[in-house]
Amino acid sequence: MKYLELTAYGFYLLLIVGGGVLAISSRTLIRALVGLITALFGVAGMYFLLNAPFVALMQLLIYVGAVTVLIFFAIMLTRPPAGAEECEPRPKSAWIIPVLTGIAPALLLGVMCLTSFTQTVEKPVLNTARELGQGLLGPYALAFELISVVLFVAMGGAVILGFKRRESR
Amino acid sequence: MNDLFLFQVASLALLAIGLVGLTLRRSFIAILISVELLLNGAGLSIVAASKLTGADDVLGQLSALLIMGLAAAEATLVLAIILVVLRRFGHVDSTKTTLLRG
Repeated sequence: MKYLELTAYGFYLLLIVGGGVLAISSRTLIRALVGLITALFGVAGMYFLLNAPFVALMQLLIYVGAVTVLIFFAIMLTRPPAGAEECEPRPKSAWIIPVLTGIAPALLLGVMCLTSFTQTVEKPVLNTARELGQGLLGPYALAFELISVVLFVAMGGAVILGFKRRESR
Repeated sequence: MNDLFLFQVASLALLAIGLVGLTLRRSFIAILISVELLLNGAGLSIVAASKLTGADDVLGQLSALLIMGLAAAEATLVLAIILVVLRRFGHVDSTKTTLLRG
């Protein structure tokens, strides 16, 4: 990568790491959600850098547009009196085991990536949305249909879970 | 240190942060946020691997879209489960939710 790309990469990496750390360390859930949104924007920037603008826009539309709104609804429906926020402060020692849990697999996989994966394409080529659409309707049509079934089942399950309690009253 | 490794570092950072959040946080919503971070790392890793090696570009990008769909479905279901847990227990703390049948 050249200097400009490296600068953009560093900025997006900063967004990802900063947003992620904010997402897991802030005690208020709204701030955690803001951290998640920041990290999602960083990942969208990484997709742009990888010359995959369609996936980047889908990331912005689906994650930043839909999933975070869903999580915001979850936070809104479980307000602080219900214990949605972690009120009591945690001791510093509570961080040790989770940090080890996170670092160990990342280090292992990082060594694997460094030693055994080789890059064969110097510059990523741009795919048009037409190619992606032809892939979805051609060789990968089954995955496309399956994901719509999964989404339908998830929505139906969510609705049924929401109704069940009311019937039993 | 090639470009592929740089992008994998970003996705590994997401993996590490997501795992830390998954084991550290106690509220179900915070756990959901950590899972979203993990899934994003997976998507970024797949797209980077397919774009920078000889693998099929279209397959990698469609896999990332598939992961996004799965994440949306998962977030919907978890929202419904959180609402059920809230109605039944009055809180969404994973350490206090210990009853399976009630």
